[in-house]
Amino acid sequence: MASPAAIEVTEVSKTFPGKGRSPGWKAIAEATLTVDPGEFVCILGPSGCGKSTLLNILSGLDDQYDGHAAIHGHPVGDRQFGSPRVACVFQEPRLMPWRTVRANIEFALAASGFIEAQWRTRTDRVLNLVGLEDFADFYPLQLSGGMQQRASIARAFAIEPEVLLMDEPFSALDELTARRLRQQLLTIWSDFRPSVLFVTHNAFEATFLSDRILMMTKGPGGRFCDEINLNGLARPRTYEDVKVFEASRDVVARLISRIGQIDQDL
Amino acid sequence: MSLEPLTATDFHGPASASAARGIAGAVSNWASGHASDILIKICSILSLLGLWSFAAFMLPPSVIPGPVGVIRILWSEVMAGAIWSDVAISMTRIALSFCAAMSIAIIFGFAMGLSKTAERFFDVWVVCGISLPSLVTILVIFMTVGLNETAAVLAAAIPVTPILTINIWGGIKNVDHKLIDMAKAYHAGRWRIIRQVIAPQIAPVIISSSRFGLGLIWKMVLFVELLGRSNGIGYKIEFYYQMFNMSEVLAHALLFLLIMLFLEIVLLGALEQYLFKWRPAQRRI
Repeated sequence: MASPAAIEVTEVSKTFPGKGRSPGWKAIAEATLTVDPGEFVCILGPSGCGKSTLLNILSGLDDQYDGHAAIHGHPVGDRQFGSPRVACVFQEPRLMPWRTVRANIEFALAASGFIEAQWRTRTDRVLNLVGLEDFADFYPLQLSGGMQQRASIARAFAIEPEVLLMDEPFSALDELTARRLRQQLLTIWSDFRPSVLFVTHNAFEATFLSDRILMMTKGPGGRFCDEINLNGLARPRTYEDVKVFEASRDVVARLISRIGQIDQDL
Repeated sequence: MSLEPLTATDFHGPASASAARGIAGAVSNWASGHASDILIKICSILSLLGLWSFAAFMLPPSVIPGPVGVIRILWSEVMAGAIWSDVAISMTRIALSFCAAMSIAIIFGFAMGLSKTAERFFDVWVVCGISLPSLVTILVIFMTVGLNETAAVLAAAIPVTPILTINIWGGIKNVDHKLIDMAKAYHAGRWRIIRQVIAPQIAPVIISSSRFGLGLIWKMVLFVELLGRSNGIGYKIEFYYQMFNMSEVLAHALLFLLIMLFLEIVLLGALEQYLFKWRPAQRRI
């Protein structure tokens, strides 16, 4: 057997139970996907298509689903010694406001089992990467939204994850900040090379970031309907690159033909 | 790599600086801030004293004695020392009532915050408890338990308990589940989540409920003493009221007010501010 895929999802379905006699809401229907080690994959789909539900399953927060989901061959939610390190970046920074930026990162390091002697160097390194080295001892509420999200990205890379799950991490930021963070994300990713599964409803973002785009249909019963390979787009990519822009136009065209109409979000 | 401008310039500086201020700095919490804020507070206190003097000037001294006279009597009482035994008795009752009310409120508040069934069941109790006039509760307890210390402590504690329960219940319900999910996603163990993610969110709730509860309890204890005890500050106030000695009534009330303000604002307020030092400065209480 070849080395297992970084992320392997096989025919995963998820239905949220309805209240009383009303039928449940089927969020995902028989979704199947694989992400290879070191690959950057975006899931692109309209709001409410079950993208976030899938990430919740992969991060082990939701264990009520049908089908099979594994990370590097370990079933999702497996917390045994030797199970792969998985980091998450959420839509909101989700920093603990009573801890400084440094202490927030140290929380993730401690939870992932890093010895205390390594905390300082690891934290300093990732804070440097996101440009927050001068803000290590600030509390999250003293920082702007973009800086908070950078801190949460630093937290994710601090544990040197094998797999990084990102749930629309830039959607709450203004476009200029989001652009800068996307560029930073790609730089850090090429240093660490984790496998990334990145959920977004922004076609340009998906094109700019990923090796491969997986498209999801609208809910209920969201499933994968198309796949676009972007390995042809050379890295490092820039916003000025005409090829990136043209590719994103093609992605939007494919999205419209697949999903039928332009969604408000796209 | 360019940095975004620090938008929050009005927040107090980095953690090291605010931690260094610690409790010592927080003691002056209520008078903190810019010089103009302190000036406003001084003006506020002076105007209160002015209103008091004005009322004393308009009405006969037997009805409202002026601040100077009351403070002079307060001073002689404090020097004579007899007043301290009444203060001690009232403080003991406050401490016992407070512990009783807080323990019950914490048990019920946690139960209601954590369990839907408990929430539905005790919801009615809490609403009834709040609606019941405290005078009725106090009289019922004096009649059933008797005119003794136990009854006094219970009578002061029970009317306050449902209010504190609501406070704690709300605090538990407000615990941020997104942070708990974050901790789980980073594989934090159950014990680490309780200690480092949930407890820091609940501790401030307990402190602010304590502060609020103390403010309610001490007024309730004075009331209970007035109705059914023969010692304590509340009794003394009632005693001098019967003698129509308003100067003594006000002197006793003022002394107690100062002691309780000290406990409430300076001690608990400082603790609260210490726990909330991560908060932006505008949320000072």
